[in-house]
Amino acid sequence: MTFLEYNVKWTPTGVRKLFYLNWYLIFLLIAVAGIGILMLYSVAGGSMTPWAEPQMKRFGVGLAMMLVIAMVPIWFWRNMAALAFAVSVALLVAVEFVGDVGMGAQRWIDLGFMRLQPSELTKISLVMVLAAYYDWLDIGKVSRPLWVLLPVIIILVPTALVLTQPDLGTAILLLAGGAAMMFLAGVHWLYFVAVIVIGIGAVTAVFLSRGTEWQLLADYQYRRIDTFLDPSIDPLGAGYHITQSKIALGSGGWTGRGFMQGTQSRLNFLPEKHTDFIFTTLAEEFGFIGASSLLALYVAILFFCVVSAMRNTDRFSALVTLGVAVTFFLFFAVNMSMVMGLMPVVGVPLPLVSYGGSAMLILMIGFGLVQSAHVHRARPK
Amino acid sequence: MSPRVPLRPLARILEARAKGENPDLIERENKHRRHEDMRDRARLRAESRLVVLAGLFALAFGAVGVKMGTIASSDPSEPRAHAAGAAIAAARADITDRNGRILATNLVTHSLYAQPPQMVDPARAAAELARIFPDLDEERLLGWFTGTRKFLWIKKRISPEQKQAVFDIGEPGLLFGPREMRLYPNGTLAAHVLGGARFGQEGVNAAEVIGVAGIEKAFDDRLRDPARAGEPLQLTIDLTVQAAVERVLAGGMTMMNAKGAAAVLMDARTGEVVSLVSLPDFDPNDRPSPLVEGNPSDSPLFNRAVQGLYELGSTFKIFAVAQALDLGLVSPETMIDTRGPLRWGKYSINDFHDYGARLSVTDVIVESSNIGTARIAMQLGAVRQRAFLEALGLTTPTGLELVEAPGAKPLVPANWSELSTMTISYGHGLSASPLHLAAAYATIVNGGTRVMPTLVRDGPIQRGPRVISPETSAIARDMLRQVVTRGTASFGEVPGYEVGGKTGTADKPKERGGGYYEDKVIATFASVFPADDPRYVLVLTLDEPVMTSGREPRRTAGWTAVPVAAEVIRRVAPLLGLKPQIEPLTPTGVTLTSN
Repeated sequence: MTFLEYNVKWTPTGVRKLFYLNWYLIFLLIAVAGIGILMLYSVAGGSMTPWAEPQMKRFGVGLAMMLVIAMVPIWFWRNMAALAFAVSVALLVAVEFVGDVGMGAQRWIDLGFMRLQPSELTKISLVMVLAAYYDWLDIGKVSRPLWVLLPVIIILVPTALVLTQPDLGTAILLLAGGAAMMFLAGVHWLYFVAVIVIGIGAVTAVFLSRGTEWQLLADYQYRRIDTFLDPSIDPLGAGYHITQSKIALGSGGWTGRGFMQGTQSRLNFLPEKHTDFIFTTLAEEFGFIGASSLLALYVAILFFCVVSAMRNTDRFSALVTLGVAVTFFLFFAVNMSMVMGLMPVVGVPLPLVSYGGSAMLILMIGFGLVQSAHVHRARPK
Repeated sequence: MSPRVPLRPLARILEARAKGENPDLIERENKHRRHEDMRDRARLRAESRLVVLAGLFALAFGAVGVKMGTIASSDPSEPRAHAAGAAIAAARADITDRNGRILATNLVTHSLYAQPPQMVDPARAAAELARIFPDLDEERLLGWFTGTRKFLWIKKRISPEQKQAVFDIGEPGLLFGPREMRLYPNGTLAAHVLGGARFGQEGVNAAEVIGVAGIEKAFDDRLRDPARAGEPLQLTIDLTVQAAVERVLAGGMTMMNAKGAAAVLMDARTGEVVSLVSLPDFDPNDRPSPLVEGNPSDSPLFNRAVQGLYELGSTFKIFAVAQALDLGLVSPETMIDTRGPLRWGKYSINDFHDYGARLSVTDVIVESSNIGTARIAMQLGAVRQRAFLEALGLTTPTGLELVEAPGAKPLVPANWSELSTMTISYGHGLSASPLHLAAAYATIVNGGTRVMPTLVRDGPIQRGPRVISPETSAIARDMLRQVVTRGTASFGEVPGYEVGGKTGTADKPKERGGGYYEDKVIATFASVFPADDPRYVLVLTLDEPVMTSGREPRRTAGWTAVPVAAEVIRRVAPLLGLKPQIEPLTPTGVTLTSN
């Protein structure tokens, strides 16, 4: 028995559900995706092909999927959570054996009509399964060690599978997203402190041991870490992206060079300019003002998610909404820090803006869950 | 935690039963309340967690925004790499002569290195390399290739032919890196001015070029400044004149059997050094290593014109005379007692010839009388002489823009006694470089303003302070001219160019102290041309010259340095744009007609 069943006073049914959608959120998503399509048009040199048009179609499909998911009651999705998670883990395992290798990493499964990245699917199914778990779990037991261990395993299994692909970006997202879910569910903060302290200790030990007799890693591994952390050591190798995108950001200045006037991206200095590094095009062409406008849109999306979660009395609904918001935020934060050289390049797209199908569809599915939770929340009669 | 409320409190149940109500309603109500309680606590906790999360969101967005702002407000300049290898700024500025002709530039060559772990056939690679580069030892190469080393340099610079040959081996473990090297296209020309460069920090993709001597070292920072890489460093040297001076001096050195020679050609008004030669020289493209033993001044790297401190002999006489004239102590016609020997304590001063009882001041210079000069110097006194030589720059380093220049501080007597005053007046007891002498002569003849020697053309040159009056300067020029027309430097006459000058032949001091060699001299001719309005000063010094063509060996400057200097002037005066002043020959056998 959940609180939902106690508190169901009234939920909209049938076509009336459409009126109870969170339309603000939908408009914000369309605005962000619109910016992305505009940027892809510019990067292609003022052409709808090869990126802007497929991106548009995908966003349309995503929007439709979101609406369909929003119409289905949230409790149905709660019951599907465990199954979705099991399927996505199974796909992760499958990709090890039948996956195509793309861009140096094994990430794709060819379904015939589209190529699927199971690691993307995992991002949503992990959020769902954790939300369902904490919805099912008695609140008093949340911080008991055994009940903490179970979600940790749930998080670590797909993370480990993703790491072997190797896809560091998704692994970070899964780990951080899962931890955020546990934190939001109310797991005692001492667990988090302990993990952070142990993590810092381990990193310190690794670095302190460098050059001593009990050195924990081989020299070349340290050098890789150096380059990873400070790519300017190797400006023509690993650091190339970041150097170039910093130049692009810098040359944009406050107001930018104007639409379609970007040089860095136009002149092909930047690899991946239409995917992970699309933000540099935006920053160069529209400057600080354009870039901070996109930032504001992202903040607004997160704001509406959080407000929706807080007004929802159903635990699963609230947790799923927040989980999607956190995932969305992590996409953005990791991509942005990597573009601006705050963080190493790990391969995470800018949500809804970067060219790419899997990430966009998965985020739209996530927002479908958010909408479903929003529509089916208990309202006073 | 609030205390647990029982779901069916007995008191209320009994009360309800008494009233005939359903006690289950109470239980349901309490259950409901308990759930509400739990939910409220959970909400409270969830909300506090949300606040923490929102804080993190805000922090992240803030950090991104701030970083974006700082990048946006920064200049969109290409970040200068500071990593090993890529960091090495290869572009070193060129050095040109005064007309913009290249003296030093850069050339892209290749370096050759090996990565033994990637080698397919180390034995064959070693054998082939030993064949291409005969100076490499096959066994040692093989030892390195099969050892534990991961990286090794084989050759720092290779030619395109060698590169192709190594490439043809087809060994993936042999790799090439681009490498910019310093090239001096004129070989030994102006070697001592340019100095040379070597590789500093060496990376696979580039190597740093560092100046090791001369201009290259003195202006190392300027030449390496990436902001000024496209802007060549322009010297005052004239390539053509430099080549002519070097050529003539080398011939003269051989003819006079000298072991070394130096020449400084300077603009008398500005102090710009147009040519600076020291022989023997070297090729800066392949700079020899410094001598490990022996006298460093015998090394070809030694710059005799700048670093060599010599007692310059009678060339100094003009300084004492000019000062006495300027102070009004003597006039050119004043008769000076030249009876010898001049005794001072246990020392005596002699002349080369006996010039009789008296000579005019002009003739003291023309005939080069030690006794006469010493007597004039006694009138000056030590303090005034010292101050005058200081004003001419003969007691301090010259300030020329070579790293070697600051080390060349003239050797002056610690105790500037009366005896020192007398010996210094005819050029003994004070050692200075030929460059010092050239600057001092320029000051004397250019109208009397101090000249600071310089090698770099940058901006207008300011006139130095006045040292002697223009009138004194004119008299001194006249005296120097007479030295050539009727004095010790009669071989210095160059048709068309009125040459003035003063010879100096100084016995060389013995290295381990204890007096002077009788048969080793430094012969110097300090000349100015044209004498009536001097544009250039040429100081030419021969180290241990001896003319053996006559009946007995001749060493004096008049026989050695002067003819060589005259030949230099004959060759360079037209190059310097000076028009010869030739009186028109009266044509004979030709009838001029006019109609």
